[in-house]
Amino acid sequence: MSQAQDLLTVENLTVEFDTYGGVVQAVRGVDFSVSGGETLAIVGESGCGKSVTVQSLMGLIPTPPGRITRGSARLHGQEILGRSRIDGREIRGAQIGMIFQDPMTSLNPTMTIGDQIAEPLQVHKGLSRRDAAREAVRLLEMTRIPEAAKRAKQYPFEFSGGMLQRAMIAMAIACKPDILIADEPTTALDVTIQAQILDLLQDLQRETGMAIVLITHDLGVVARMADSVAVMYAGKVVERGSVDDVFYRSAHPYTLGLRAAMPSNDPAIKQNLQPIEGSPPDLFSPPPGCGYAPRCPHAMKVCCQQPEETRLSDVEGVRGHASHCWLHHEKSPNKPSELYFSDRSGKGLEIKGAEANS
Amino acid sequence: MRANTKTVLDFSRLDAEQDVHAISRPSLSYWQDAWIRLRANRRALVSLLLVIGLLLFTLVGPWVWQVNPAAQDLDQVSQPPGVDRSALIVDPHEAWVVGDVASEVPGSGLRLAAAATTQSVRLAWDVLPGARGHRVYRNLFPVGPERAYGIPRAEFFDNSVLYFEDLLDLKPGTYYYTIVGLDQDGGLSDQTVSLTVDVQRVTTEAEARARGLVDEDQSLQSGDRVLLDLHPLGTDYLGRDMLARLMAGARVSLFIGIGAPLCFVIFGVLFGAVAGFIGGKTDQLMMRFADFVVALPFLLFMILFKIAFGIGPGESGVMPMLVALVLLMWPATARLVRGQILQIREQGYISASRLLGAKTHYLILRHMLPNTLGVVLVTLTFAIPSAIFTEAFLSFIGMGVAPPTPSWGSMSNEGIKTMLTTPHELIFPALLISITVLAFNLLGDGLRDALDARMRNRE
Amino acid sequence: MWSFILKRLAQGLITVWFIATATFFAMHNVPGDPLLNDRAMTAAIRANVEAKYGLDKPLGEQYVIYLGNLMRGDLGISFTQENREVNDIIREHFPVSATLGILAVLFAAAGGVLWGALTALYRNRMPDYVIMFFVILGISVPSFVLAAVSQLVLVGTNAAFGVTVLPVAGWGTLSHMLLPALVLGLGTMAYLTRLMRSSMLEVIGSDYVRTAKAKGLPAARIFSKHQLRNAILPVITVLGPSIAAITTGGFVVELVFAIPGLGRYFVEAVQQLDYTVIMGTTVFYGAFLVFMVIVVDILYGFIDPRVRMQ
Repeated sequence: MSQAQDLLTVENLTVEFDTYGGVVQAVRGVDFSVSGGETLAIVGESGCGKSVTVQSLMGLIPTPPGRITRGSARLHGQEILGRSRIDGREIRGAQIGMIFQDPMTSLNPTMTIGDQIAEPLQVHKGLSRRDAAREAVRLLEMTRIPEAAKRAKQYPFEFSGGMLQRAMIAMAIACKPDILIADEPTTALDVTIQAQILDLLQDLQRETGMAIVLITHDLGVVARMADSVAVMYAGKVVERGSVDDVFYRSAHPYTLGLRAAMPSNDPAIKQNLQPIEGSPPDLFSPPPGCGYAPRCPHAMKVCCQQPEETRLSDVEGVRGHASHCWLHHEKSPNKPSELYFSDRSGKGLEIKGAEANS
Repeated sequence: MRANTKTVLDFSRLDAEQDVHAISRPSLSYWQDAWIRLRANRRALVSLLLVIGLLLFTLVGPWVWQVNPAAQDLDQVSQPPGVDRSALIVDPHEAWVVGDVASEVPGSGLRLAAAATTQSVRLAWDVLPGARGHRVYRNLFPVGPERAYGIPRAEFFDNSVLYFEDLLDLKPGTYYYTIVGLDQDGGLSDQTVSLTVDVQRVTTEAEARARGLVDEDQSLQSGDRVLLDLHPLGTDYLGRDMLARLMAGARVSLFIGIGAPLCFVIFGVLFGAVAGFIGGKTDQLMMRFADFVVALPFLLFMILFKIAFGIGPGESGVMPMLVALVLLMWPATARLVRGQILQIREQGYISASRLLGAKTHYLILRHMLPNTLGVVLVTLTFAIPSAIFTEAFLSFIGMGVAPPTPSWGSMSNEGIKTMLTTPHELIFPALLISITVLAFNLLGDGLRDALDARMRNRE
Repeated sequence: MWSFILKRLAQGLITVWFIATATFFAMHNVPGDPLLNDRAMTAAIRANVEAKYGLDKPLGEQYVIYLGNLMRGDLGISFTQENREVNDIIREHFPVSATLGILAVLFAAAGGVLWGALTALYRNRMPDYVIMFFVILGISVPSFVLAAVSQLVLVGTNAAFGVTVLPVAGWGTLSHMLLPALVLGLGTMAYLTRLMRSSMLEVIGSDYVRTAKAKGLPAARIFSKHQLRNAILPVITVLGPSIAAITTGGFVVELVFAIPGLGRYFVEAVQQLDYTVIMGTTVFYGAFLVFMVIVVDILYGFIDPRVRMQ
């Protein structure tokens, strides 16, 4: 991977939480990267660590009980973990904007929408109250809120959910960030509103050229929005690559399982939905091997014994398409036909972990 | 470093039938989980032990410490705990007849004619310069520059009497006597003489035998020492045993403190459940009424009801206070329970249960009440300290239980009058009130944290 | 907003009527004939009272007379003090109680908000533990003990310095008011501190504060614009009942500190069974408290836009 051109590079990010029951290892060594203007979707089921990953980038993990134990995250090549400013600019709100899952509770109920949008402008750009207010109205117009000037003087409880999410977006992009992180931005909204918000995000990306990190568990949203995908399971990225690679040339049994569990409205496909049996591992005491092994139809003994994190390999030499799975190991004899393999002999599999070990 | 280069990797298939549905942690019931959380909360656990200790003190205490809380020990009045309780046996008191002071009482100035005892203090003095008479003062504190002499004990308008025997209410300790000269008009002159007197506790043989302080066959003579009755926490201003009174008071305070909340919580739960379940106009009407009761100024109406119910002769006034508390405090619980019921009624599991053919009484018993039990328990725990406070407050302003029934509030009220000289009479009941209120408050906090479902997945 | 205020006022009037009625029937239930009380009831007062209240008439008629008098603002004549109207007594003593009460409420509210916010911000750290220790003390110690102990401490302090740092009892100047107001407000302050703490903790964990952090706002701005304002709302809702608690709690403090307020007068009236004074004061206090709750409700409306807009 040529990291030099990447806008944001995350390597081996590990986050833990202290709880009554013990230490939860919510994120266990996550790697991914985003380049400028690109949309990266992070997908995975609830509790797999998607939100914790991006919140730790933003410094939103409450410490205690949370802590980032390992890893790095570089924006423009500079470390941002544990820092609030790089290049003399605030990271949060200025270089990275963020919107959240539930717009109903994510806005201050006692402050007008306009004031809330104007806030980052006043703080980061030093705009006067009046200029910031004017800019806030312009941002509301940009996010296609009708009667923006009137709406800016209203309070969150006077807005509908979709309108609130638009206002949230206006707030997040106020300082023209390089990256917009959208943490399940449409989960709490009606289906019709979802499409509008996604369209809006795409349009804004086209206008401003910002990168988007989209967190979702909806594969339909991924297919519609993303350039590249990172699939997370039990605190790890199990597969990543371009949308086409991951969706049509899936290289990890979990991705395959997700696809089989997804409904389709194509009448040609008459297949029943196939749920993934079982439940994710307990992150209080994660298994030594692959977290998916107990549910994996192709599991081998090694999967339960050894961590597979060094097995991140570029599948078939396609740049950026990688999968954490023992099945890709050169010595693995059982390579199921449903999974995408370059070459049954294992040649052409570039094992990234080998460099680190040598 | 990495295992894959060093050990043999086993790529054979996992063939054993895997239990994919295994749940790695056991699931806990609501109450099991709450109990674990409560136990993990050190403050709540300590307060729970305190509450148990208080109950033992109240219920078991009187069996262990069998002293009548109304009995007066006049030899030991307002006595702090831990004071030497030995007394010297002396002869019965005989009147002090003095002929010529100067020759019969050796020494000069203000002096003692005999050893100062709790039986009597015999003073003699010389004529003060220019005095036409003398006045005798007694004080508990040294006479300072502001010339506070204390209470006047006797007055003599000529110089023929230069002695005085003080018999009034003497306790072991230090007294400060002052003789002030009087001018011809009977006014005070600046001529004074003071004497510090240490009074020793004495008793007579007859008295010691009457109180059973010694065995019947034991002989007693003057000069022997006997031990007076033990009062571990001292005595109050009437010589009553503090420990016994605190235990008796605990029964009153905790009876009101726990009994009243129990009654009004039960009433409130019924009222609120009925209102919440019936709903509509009835609910509106019932809750409006509750609103009015809430608007009554609480303490004023407590007092008003206390007056209205009246206390007959020989009654303690505990029941009227209980009734008044119940009458005024039920609406808070009723509102809470009604809110809970309304909320639960809308939940999916109620509809599901109804769909499966559950009857109304089953819904109430199986779903609604168990789900409101948590908040009700917390309300009850917090209502106890407020009821105890109310009792103490009313007793303090004299509207509480009628004397001689002790309660911690009335004991504090009595103790506050002698706060400066014998602080233990205030400290012990006040401390017990504080500890009880503290324990129930912390227990309530712990219960709320343990039972609050919203908190279950946080932290 | 106006219709909201009017509605609240109408509700308040009905509540006052309920209080007056409850007072009337509670006092009517008093065993024995109040006029046969041997305490200081002179013939002159007795004649006046009988004529005024129609005590020989049936209960219903007495109630109507009573309500009529109330509506004219006439609370009656004292049973024990000749020719002294209850109105006069209230006019003379209530300002003292009100001054003390206002001071105590201000003290309790300001302290509660400040300490509550601090403990939440420093959760599970030293300042939290220290403040919460005092809060628990304030909640557990009865006000009369607090009053007595503080007086004792003051006596000691005055003696130690050889001058009167603060007067131990009495009324008149601000220095007389400070300690009683402190003692009076302390219990409520402790309660408000706890409330503010939990409300603040909830706000700190809320989604909109996370949003504010994601916007990169400085901590001071997050505190003042996002946390404080929202956390204070529940504190304001209980301010009405708190005023009630403080006003009636004033009885004891006035008694201990020898302050000539209405509370002390009420307690004395109760002890002397001066029925008209008891009834009049109860209704007056009740009306006052209902009014204060309405004022607080309206105040709340101005702070919370969700209520204001309705």
